[in-house]
Amino acid sequence: MMGLVTRKTGCSLLAVLVLLICGLGAVGQAQNAEPASPTAATAPPAAAPVTPSMDAPLDVKAAQPPSADELAKGDPGGTKTGTVSDVVVSDSKKGLTLSDTVNQVGQNRIAINFVWTLVTGFLVMFMQAGFAIVETGLCRAKNSNHTMMMNFMVYSLGLFAFWVCGFAIQMGGGAPYSTLGGANPLNSEHVFNFFGKTWGVWGTHGFFLTQGGSYDVGVMVLFLFQMVFMDTALTIVTGAAAERWKYIAFAISSLFMGALTYPLFANWAWGGGWLSQLGANFGLGHGYCDFAGSGVVHAVGGLTALALSMIIGPRIGKYNRNGKPNAMPGHDIVLVLTGCFILAFGWFGFNPGSTLAASGNGALRIGSIAVNTMLAGCTGSFGAILYMWIRYGKPDASMSGNGLLAGLVAITAPSGFVSTIGSVIIGLVAGVLVCVSVEFIERVLKVDDPVGAISVHGTNGIWGVISVGLFADGTSNYGGSWNGVNGSVRGLFYGDPSQLVAQLIGVGTLIGFVFTFSYVLNMIIHFIVGQRVDAAEELEGLDLPEMGALGYPEFVLKPETVSAMAAD
Amino acid sequence: MKLVGVLLAIVGWLVPVVALNFTQSLGARFAMTIVGLAITLIGILVVLNNAHQKHAIWKL
Repeated sequence: MMGLVTRKTGCSLLAVLVLLICGLGAVGQAQNAEPASPTAATAPPAAAPVTPSMDAPLDVKAAQPPSADELAKGDPGGTKTGTVSDVVVSDSKKGLTLSDTVNQVGQNRIAINFVWTLVTGFLVMFMQAGFAIVETGLCRAKNSNHTMMMNFMVYSLGLFAFWVCGFAIQMGGGAPYSTLGGANPLNSEHVFNFFGKTWGVWGTHGFFLTQGGSYDVGVMVLFLFQMVFMDTALTIVTGAAAERWKYIAFAISSLFMGALTYPLFANWAWGGGWLSQLGANFGLGHGYCDFAGSGVVHAVGGLTALALSMIIGPRIGKYNRNGKPNAMPGHDIVLVLTGCFILAFGWFGFNPGSTLAASGNGALRIGSIAVNTMLAGCTGSFGAILYMWIRYGKPDASMSGNGLLAGLVAITAPSGFVSTIGSVIIGLVAGVLVCVSVEFIERVLKVDDPVGAISVHGTNGIWGVISVGLFADGTSNYGGSWNGVNGSVRGLFYGDPSQLVAQLIGVGTLIGFVFTFSYVLNMIIHFIVGQRVDAAEELEGLDLPEMGALGYPEFVLKPETVSAMAAD
Repeated sequence: MKLVGVLLAIVGWLVPVVALNFTQSLGARFAMTIVGLAITLIGILVVLNNAHQKHAIWKL
C-alpha cells in the first residue's frame, strides 16, 4: 500500500516536473503520443519556463515593504531598513523583476567579499607600523631614524615596483578568482613545457594595472590585498640588515624584490604556477599549499634577509676576535612589544583575509582561521618564554615578542587547513624553534641579525609550510577543490603523505631558488653601489651620515659608548 | 667558493624537481626531496657562509 502511495505521489511529482520543464505545449504533444519536436528535445530543461518569469515584474506589495510614512518615523529597531524597496531595479518603468533580484544577490555576495578583502588588506597594511617600531626598538638609538626610514620607504618602493610589474608577474595568469567576481583579465600565464607537463612560471597580464584589460574592479581589490602581503616580505629584510645597510642599496634591493623575487615565487604558489600544480600534474596532494603565506611572504623575506646578512656581514662589535658574540640590546623594549601587539592585530587581516571572501566557497571558515591565528601566537610566546626562562633563568622580553611572531608566522600557511589542536602544537614548536634558531644563526653561522628576522620569518616560515603537510585535517572546503584538485587538503597525520612531499618541494624551492636568486641579485647591487656603510659612519650611528637627522635629537649619546665600540 | 655554494644550492633545488618526472613512487620522491634539501643546505650554510666568514669584519 505504501509502495502504491509512494508511486502515485511520485507520478504526481513527475507530472509537475514535466509541466515545469516542457511547458504546456510540450505536455500537449506528449498526450497525443507524438515524438517530441527537436526544439523541445534540445532546449535546456529549466530555461524554457524560467526565462519569461525572470523579466516579469514581481508583486512587490506582497513583500510588504514599509511605507514612506512608516520610514519617516525612523527605524530604531532596524527592522524596516533594507527591504525589497532597496533592491535596485534595472528598468524603473517595469519595476522589480526576478532578474533584478537574482543579480542583486550575486552582487551582494561579491560586495561582501570585496569589503572583507579590502578591510583585511587595510589591517595588513597597518602591520608596516608594527614592523617599523619592532625593528627600531630592537636597534640602538643612534640608528633609529635610519631604521624607521627604511621601514617607511619600503612601503612606497615596494608598492611602486609591484604596480609596474610585480603584480602582473605574480597574478597575471591566475584567473578566475571566483570570490572576487572572476578578475578575468588576469588570464595569461607564461608556461614552459617539460617532460610532457606545463610549468607556469609568470603571469603576463596586469602591468601598470591597465595592460591586458586589467583596469577591472576585481583586479583592483586583488592588487591591494596582494600588494600589502608583498610589502610585508620586503620589510622583513630591513630588520636583519639594520644598523649597517647603505640606504641607496636598500632602496634598489627593495625595488627588485618587489618587482621580481617575491612575485616569481608568489606566482608559483598562488598565481597558478608550477608549484600549485604539483597535485594536478604529479599527484602530490593538492600541490604546494600555503594558505596565507608562511612560505610566500615570510620565508621569502627571511631567506632574502639571510642572503643579505651574509653579504654585508655582522655589525662592528657584534663578535670578538675569537668569534664570541656580544649582546647588542635594542634601545626601547616598550616599542618592541607594542609593535608585536600591532602585528598580532594585523595578522587577523593576514590569515582570515586570505580566503578573499566572507561569503560562499567555504569562506565562513574565517572564524576558525582567526581562532587558529590567535592560538598559535599565544603558544608561540609560551614556547619562547619557557625556553628562555628554563635556559637562562629569566623570561626574555624581546624573545617573548619574537615567540609570538614566530607562532603567527608558522600558522600563516596552515591556518586555513588545521584544527585548533594543530594550531596550538604548531605555535608551541615555533616558539621554541625561534629561540634555537637565533642561537644557531648567531653562534654557529656567525651571521648577525639584529632583530631575529631570519629565525622568526625564515625558519618559522619553513616550519609553517611543512606543518601543512603534517596537520591539515581534511575539513576545509573552499569551493570543493584547492589548486584544481577536488576534496580537502590532508596532511600526513590525516592520511595523505603525498601532501608532505609537495610541501617539502616548496621548501626546497624557497631555499634553493629564492635564497639563491636574492643572493645573486644583492651581490650585483653590492658590486655596483656597495651594500655596507663605512665603518666610521656605522660607529657614529647611521642617523646623521645617512639620513641627515637624528631620530632623538635631544638624547645625548655617550661618547664613551662609541669609543668602547670602536675599541672592540 | 661562493660560486660553488650557489651552484650547490641550485642543484639541490633541481634534484627533487627533475626527479618528479622520473619516478611515480612517493617514497622515491620523498627521498630525492630530502637529498636535494641536504645539498642545498650544505651549499648555503656551509660552503657559501664559510666563504663569507673567511673575511669577516671581526677577523680583520
